[in-house]
Amino acid sequence: MGMSYRRYLHGERVYGCSKCRTHLATIHSMISRAFTGQHGRAYLFDVVVNVVEGEPCDRPMTTGNHTVRDIYCIKCGTTLGWKYDKAYEATQKYKEGKFILERNLLVDVQ
Amino acid sequence: MRLTESEETSPSPSIAGPSSKSFDYYSTSNGRTPSTNGKGFQSSFTNGNGVDGSSGTGTSGSNGVVVEKYGKSAPPRVNLPGHLLYEDLNVDREEFVRLLLQSLRDVGYIESAATLEAESGYSMEEPQVKRFREYILSGMWSKAEDALSRLGIVNEDSLWDAKFLINKQKYLELLEAQKTAAALHVLRSELAPSSSEPAQLHALSSLLMCTEPEDVRQRARWDGALGRSRQQLLLDLHHSIPPSIMIPQRRFVTLLQQAHRAQVRRCIYHNTPLESTPFSLFNDHECNKDGFPSVTTTVLLGHTDEVWSVEWSHDGAYLASGGQDKTAIIWSMGPDSRKWEAHLILRDHLYPVHSIAWSSDDAMLLTGAEHCIKLWDAKTGSCIRTLDEHTETVTAFSWLPDGSGFLSGALDRKIIQWDAEGRKMLSWGLTDIRVTDLAVTPDLSRVVAIGRHVPTSSESSMSRGARSSGSSGDGSTSNPSGNSAPTNGITPIETRIVIYRLSTRQVEFSIKLDGELTSVKISQDSQYALISHSPDEIQLWDLRLGRLSCKFTGQRQGRHVIRSCFAGLNDSFVVSGSEDGNVYVWHRETGDLLEVLSGHGPGSVNSVAWNPANERMFASCSDDNSIRIWEAPSPETSLDESGHTDFPVSYNTKGKGKTRQLDGEVENAGMAGSSTRL
Repeated sequence: MGMSYRRYLHGERVYGCSKCRTHLATIHSMISRAFTGQHGRAYLFDVVVNVVEGEPCDRPMTTGNHTVRDIYCIKCGTTLGWKYDKAYEATQKYKEGKFILERNLLVDVQ
Repeated sequence: MRLTESEETSPSPSIAGPSSKSFDYYSTSNGRTPSTNGKGFQSSFTNGNGVDGSSGTGTSGSNGVVVEKYGKSAPPRVNLPGHLLYEDLNVDREEFVRLLLQSLRDVGYIESAATLEAESGYSMEEPQVKRFREYILSGMWSKAEDALSRLGIVNEDSLWDAKFLINKQKYLELLEAQKTAAALHVLRSELAPSSSEPAQLHALSSLLMCTEPEDVRQRARWDGALGRSRQQLLLDLHHSIPPSIMIPQRRFVTLLQQAHRAQVRRCIYHNTPLESTPFSLFNDHECNKDGFPSVTTTVLLGHTDEVWSVEWSHDGAYLASGGQDKTAIIWSMGPDSRKWEAHLILRDHLYPVHSIAWSSDDAMLLTGAEHCIKLWDAKTGSCIRTLDEHTETVTAFSWLPDGSGFLSGALDRKIIQWDAEGRKMLSWGLTDIRVTDLAVTPDLSRVVAIGRHVPTSSESSMSRGARSSGSSGDGSTSNPSGNSAPTNGITPIETRIVIYRLSTRQVEFSIKLDGELTSVKISQDSQYALISHSPDEIQLWDLRLGRLSCKFTGQRQGRHVIRSCFAGLNDSFVVSGSEDGNVYVWHRETGDLLEVLSGHGPGSVNSVAWNPANERMFASCSDDNSIRIWEAPSPETSLDESGHTDFPVSYNTKGKGKTRQLDGEVENAGMAGSSTRL
């Protein structure tokens, strides 16, 4: 894979990994706060950086079936949320390619 | 073409030589004792200064004298049309012949020179030029000035300049001889009227205060009447005296040397010192590529994951490597460069090793893994100190060339200066870039840092307003899978090259670029910086002008940190890794891509390093967990000629460090190129 440096974000509010403070997303790319994850409240983001994506798997959710991948912090490996590859319900298509980060695993780094 | 024996007979002073007077003329040389001309003729010739007064005028009358004295028939003057040597070439025949005459006299072919003068009708120089030179070299200043006025210099200013130079020498010699009164007289009555620059005159007059001759020499930066100062004066006088009157010394050879140097500069595989480069006038110089390191002679296996950086010790006997398996390895080459082994394995890091650097004396090694720096004893492998000042990934070290300490740079925007024991000296404060690499110039004048620009809060809010979706980030791609559309608002990364003065830490230049910058190296002459730039470009920057002077392309660099370096003798080459798994080599002067060397497995070749003690060896490291040593093909290494491109690389999971010599031993392990980590 080669060596690459992590990306750094800037803006009014930057969310990072609560364990190692690696930059993940900015408030400006947040789409919705109305999600729930394993650890409670979760946010939907348009763009998330510095994550590794796991293998895709189908997962039934309250809004229907989805193909998702877990996402891990590139530095410390903590599971942070997931990414939507595919939504089976037409009304949920807007989530495809977007990311969920669990609020309890995030920390404000800026 | 050589003359036959009978034609080559040399004059001998005792027999058929010119009159003894004429011979004395030759031996009043400038002190150089030339070698014999191969026929036992050992008189002392002038070094390009000789003018045969008796035959130098080129008239048929003086040729007649020669005929008489040598008892031979002088050739008749050959009358050629026009003034060019060849009709279709703009070389003046007279100039050519006069240079030829100078060369002939220099080496001692006096008679040939006389013959040539007779046949061509050209003389090397007027007799008064030779006398002028002699007056200068023997310090006969008033005669020299007198002769100067009869040289036929038309330009009034040049004449004044020449007079000033001569009187300056006279003045300095008087001071050196402690004849202060006479010196003062020269200053007032001769130097002052002919000087055009008051500052220069002022500097000269201040020398009157010197009490010791040594003092005069030092302050005037002048090596005295007995040194080379009079020779130097002659060289300086060439600026004021037209070369057509007084030909610069050894002019022909100077031109040949220029041709040689130009040929060497254009010789794309050239990798040997100029002095030891064979030079024949019969053909243009050109090296073949046999001497160029283009085959793998050793594969170093020991890392259990991707290898990201390699650095040679300054003595060229050790190679340090670091990578994703969180270890650094010091490899030792062994005396004959064929006995590589993993000398020390440094395992204490908690994170992958990003950066590595040897101390100036090779006694210590620095490694950086994430925010943590470790300083190791390179002889024992024990960790001397852990430096915990940075808060983000440490990307670069640069030892100060005087050995007094080193600089570290990191993505936390800090540049920190440390002493040689690893104690923090000072932090440069927050820079406006996240430093991705930095380097100190060998002359200690500058620091070149590269990195990602961090916008001020006003800049970032402005740019945010301009974006449609409103997300902000400095990533060039949105995530590792790369499948997000660019409409996500990730703008191209903005980067900077920042050139500091080391002494003041002030910014000299800050150059705005876009695309990630991943490595910076400085040329030996401290004048150029080689910077790897994504996508797919290596840039050569002139540090004094702050200007881009050349680009090298062909290699692949997208998302990864790819490092490049200067290479070969006099930094004649540029080498880089590439994401396509090859090593790329360019000729620096022409920018030509010379070699695309395959051999590494799939993945990136991350870094390359040229051996500082052996211009015919370099190392490369790759995602295939291996390091390759490249050397010139030779009888011992040519066993690899079956094709180093698909040599099987064996996995070594024990991490104990293992090397394989490619000397014919067959090792059939499976290809282990693909890296397993996501």
